[in-house]
Amino acid sequence: MVRIKSRHLLCEINVTDRNCLLLLDDRAVLAAVKDTVLRMHGDYGAAPLCFLCVFLVKYLNAHTGIVFLRFPKNCYKLLWSALPFITSIESRGHKISCFFNCLHVGGTIRTCQKFLIRYNTQQLHRMLPKCKNEEEKQEIRQAILNCSLLRGKKEAFEEASESEEDEEE
Amino acid sequence: MLYTVLSPYLFTDETTILPKGGDPSTNRPKRSHHQPGWVRGHQKDGGDYSKEMPKYITAGGFARARAAEVKAMLKAVTKRPASCHVFETLPKHMRRRAMSHNTKRLPRRLRLMKKKEQTRSKSRKARRRHGNLLLEFNRRQRKNIWLETHIWHAKRFHMVKKWGYCLGDRPTYKCYRPCYRAMSSHCLLQDLSYYCCIELQGEEDRLLTGLSQLTSKEAGPTFAAALCLSGRRQGSVVVYRAGQYPSQPLGPVTFLWRPRTQGSTHRQLWIWAHPTLKQDLLAELRSVCDCSEAVVPVVVPEPSPAEVTPTVDSEPKPKTTPGAKRKRSSKDQSGPPAKKILGDGTRSPTTPVTWKSSSSTTVINDLTMEIIRYRLIGPQSHTVITEAFEAATSCDPSSLWWPEHCKDENKMHLHQQQADVFHLLKGIFSTAELPPGTILGLTVDDPRLTLPTKKVKALPCEKRRELVLSGVSEHCCQSFLWDRSVRDNVIDNKISEQELNRMRSEVLVPGSRLPVPPQGRVPVLLVHQPGKQVGHEMSSWGAGWDLLLPKGWGMAFWVPLVYRGVRIGGLNMSLKHSQNKSAPHFPHDYPDCPAGVHFQEEQEAELLDKFKRRPPAKRTNYIKHGCLAPFCCPWQQLAEEWEHITREGGEEREGAGRSRTTTEADTVMEGRWRPLVRIIRTHSSLRLLSGWCKPTTSKGQRACRLRLPPPSLDLSAVKSFLTSHRMTLVWVRLSLLSGGKPELHGIVCVPTSEDLKQLKASKKAAAPSLPSDKTVEKETELSSASDPNIPITSSSPLDLVLGLWPDPLPSVASHCSRLTLGWVTQGDFSLSAGCGEALGFVSVPGLLNTLQNQPMEHRGTVLLRNPTSLQYRFAKINTRSEPMHKFSYCQ
Repeated sequence: MVRIKSRHLLCEINVTDRNCLLLLDDRAVLAAVKDTVLRMHGDYGAAPLCFLCVFLVKYLNAHTGIVFLRFPKNCYKLLWSALPFITSIESRGHKISCFFNCLHVGGTIRTCQKFLIRYNTQQLHRMLPKCKNEEEKQEIRQAILNCSLLRGKKEAFEEASESEEDEEE
Repeated sequence: MLYTVLSPYLFTDETTILPKGGDPSTNRPKRSHHQPGWVRGHQKDGGDYSKEMPKYITAGGFARARAAEVKAMLKAVTKRPASCHVFETLPKHMRRRAMSHNTKRLPRRLRLMKKKEQTRSKSRKARRRHGNLLLEFNRRQRKNIWLETHIWHAKRFHMVKKWGYCLGDRPTYKCYRPCYRAMSSHCLLQDLSYYCCIELQGEEDRLLTGLSQLTSKEAGPTFAAALCLSGRRQGSVVVYRAGQYPSQPLGPVTFLWRPRTQGSTHRQLWIWAHPTLKQDLLAELRSVCDCSEAVVPVVVPEPSPAEVTPTVDSEPKPKTTPGAKRKRSSKDQSGPPAKKILGDGTRSPTTPVTWKSSSSTTVINDLTMEIIRYRLIGPQSHTVITEAFEAATSCDPSSLWWPEHCKDENKMHLHQQQADVFHLLKGIFSTAELPPGTILGLTVDDPRLTLPTKKVKALPCEKRRELVLSGVSEHCCQSFLWDRSVRDNVIDNKISEQELNRMRSEVLVPGSRLPVPPQGRVPVLLVHQPGKQVGHEMSSWGAGWDLLLPKGWGMAFWVPLVYRGVRIGGLNMSLKHSQNKSAPHFPHDYPDCPAGVHFQEEQEAELLDKFKRRPPAKRTNYIKHGCLAPFCCPWQQLAEEWEHITREGGEEREGAGRSRTTTEADTVMEGRWRPLVRIIRTHSSLRLLSGWCKPTTSKGQRACRLRLPPPSLDLSAVKSFLTSHRMTLVWVRLSLLSGGKPELHGIVCVPTSEDLKQLKASKKAAAPSLPSDKTVEKETELSSASDPNIPITSSSPLDLVLGLWPDPLPSVASHCSRLTLGWVTQGDFSLSAGCGEALGFVSVPGLLNTLQNQPMEHRGTVLLRNPTSLQYRFAKINTRSEPMHKFSYCQ
């Protein structure tokens, strides 16, 4: 199809203090990436970022620190190479020291989502044997169970939406 | 690609367990509820930053956060984009030709989904089969009842769901001006069947004593007005809760009495009310008439069990077995389709519709959806009616109601008289010539028989201008529509469209007139609707006829009327009609009624939603425009503030040594008391007010010629007026002196003396050049820079909408550079007046205060500003608003 091709980087923001994670917002991340790229690659590197429709933070989860970055396809490697140099993000007057950890590079958001599902479940599974006490174990087990959309539930959900559609007529 | 096994902090944090933790888990479900699934960009509610943030996280919380994320992602991944087939989820290289035709060409994992998709939709032919179609229709009107003309409307109108009904809002074609033209020169047709009819039966004096608690003579003629009581005229009143007269209004209703039968005091009264106020009204009526005994609904409609049973059956269990379906549809072929005679939208099918009084013979019937009401607006509506209908012809006796009546000499005589009046109608020049509210009972032939083959425009044939009816005599107002038995007879024996077409095809000469079958007579009531009764230009504009029919005959009458070249209007047009007529429209212009309050809330939510849909940079910045409440009108606050202002002003004028503390104490007391805001509807007060406002024509040209010198506006008179009308608003019409189009929720302001000077200097100028409120802008900008920042930091950012004032509004009256008097509830360019006209409410103390400070020649001039503009416009204020009651004086 004819479209602007881009790459989606699924990154994890690692911070020392977990509380700071909640302070993050997409603009802060955007600004931090821009700064670093400018520092590393100069105007040449920063130029592709000026097209805001291509360079975006598509998703940011402040609880898990997962962020989707969208870069133009032709120069994503250049931009990617600047990411390790991010040491801090300035958000709401706080300076959050952190580093980016790129987990996945995908062509569409969908592949990134699919990867994230796999990755997160994998992590939960790895946590399970390392639990210290029974209560913890139970919680994590519950979380793993929550990870899947139940078949029956899903259908119920779809049915509900259908009936709503019907009412609209 | 880089894959990290586990993030480093996972190991450190996993070990620490604090009971306080789990904040992410508490936040998480809330968010997923708020923005389900996959969210792009910044998440606004990413946590309450300053507040309870856990110092450490637990492994459980950590896991829950991941799990929630996974769930959201799963939902996003598995969701198919809307309106796409199953095979579109396949990558392109796996798609095959004719996949939708042959399921086996799909990959096996998708076949099941495809199958599901197919089974859901039967073939079109099966779906369109009569019985299935009816079932489908029944299912679709479970929540919102359809009117009988629903399908006709749905093909041509934007439908809205309102008040438990599906109603046409505006046509899909462009017709704003044509509709106006139709209203002012030909005829506009509306289906008002959603109006609810409540029937009261009983002894006349008992009914009147009960009803008198709901109204007051001060607000104009009541239910007992002599002309209305005789049954010759339709009346209209504003109903209040029992015994609460100046406060707690419910809303306006119209009513018609059945003419007296000789030697009997038993009367019948129909009250027509808007569906939003029906429930309240019904409760009040039951309490004032002591009708507490509910009659079980199954017992009531015994005359027509054949018709009632299908409606009862079809409502609770629409999914019957196939056999039952067939049976039902075969039954429907004989009579009108069952779905059309269902009850109404504002009650559940099991609620009783009849209430009896234990002490007297009074009975209250809820006739909602039993009687159809069509409204024809325009000077030629009588022509349309006379063209479309013919008075019933007599016929051979048989068991049907009309042949029975034909045997009775008296009844035939009455019918002859009514038919004569109906023929006289053809001769009048304009509908407005008739006395407003006139009622004419009539029996007409089935109008489908005289349906023209082509749509023709009904034009007046003979113009005998001089013939003006002095009203219809009392016995001619009698109609058999009042009789339930006759109504049921008519409904049961309606010839179906199919039968009629068969008869048409059997006629020897195709296209010739059909003989009238014996069951083709329908009793109807024609009710005249008065037009514009305020102001001087275009008087009695928008007069017309209301046509009352028994249910089931809706489409049979609708199509013949449409074939006479009328325009059809929707809800939107009825709003414009009342606006051009300068009459308050229910529920828009009744902010003190419960229905009006509810409507305002709904409207606010709707407008706010629309506003929020725009990106913040593209929104109107109402803070900069100095508009505090662009979506709702805080009447209560306004009235309170004006109370305060006038009191302060009065004290200054007195010059007594009272300190301000007493005033404050007063206001504190008042704050505790908090009377609800009221709207003046008392005739004498309104007359006084309009005298003070020096009512002129809307443009203020032919001003003083017609008028007596206005009553003097001295301090004592004002004071006594104000003490009797605390916390009141008054309904006003505003007409702009120059250009400009007032809009919804425009601000009515007090002009300063400089403004008035300018107006005087440049009277001939097209638009008075007013300061385009730059100072206001700056002030508010400053204040918005300083003030609302505090709420931003303190309250959560969700509550704040960019471009709107944060919730506790500052003083609304003295917000701009000019004092605010009130707001506009309807505003548009009025095609009938030729200038911008607005209807709205202003605070009475504020208005009087303004009038006192204005010089005589500019008395009643106010400023009007749209919420999205900085430009003030001069407008003339006019408070006379007793539109519907005038008819009682004209005779």
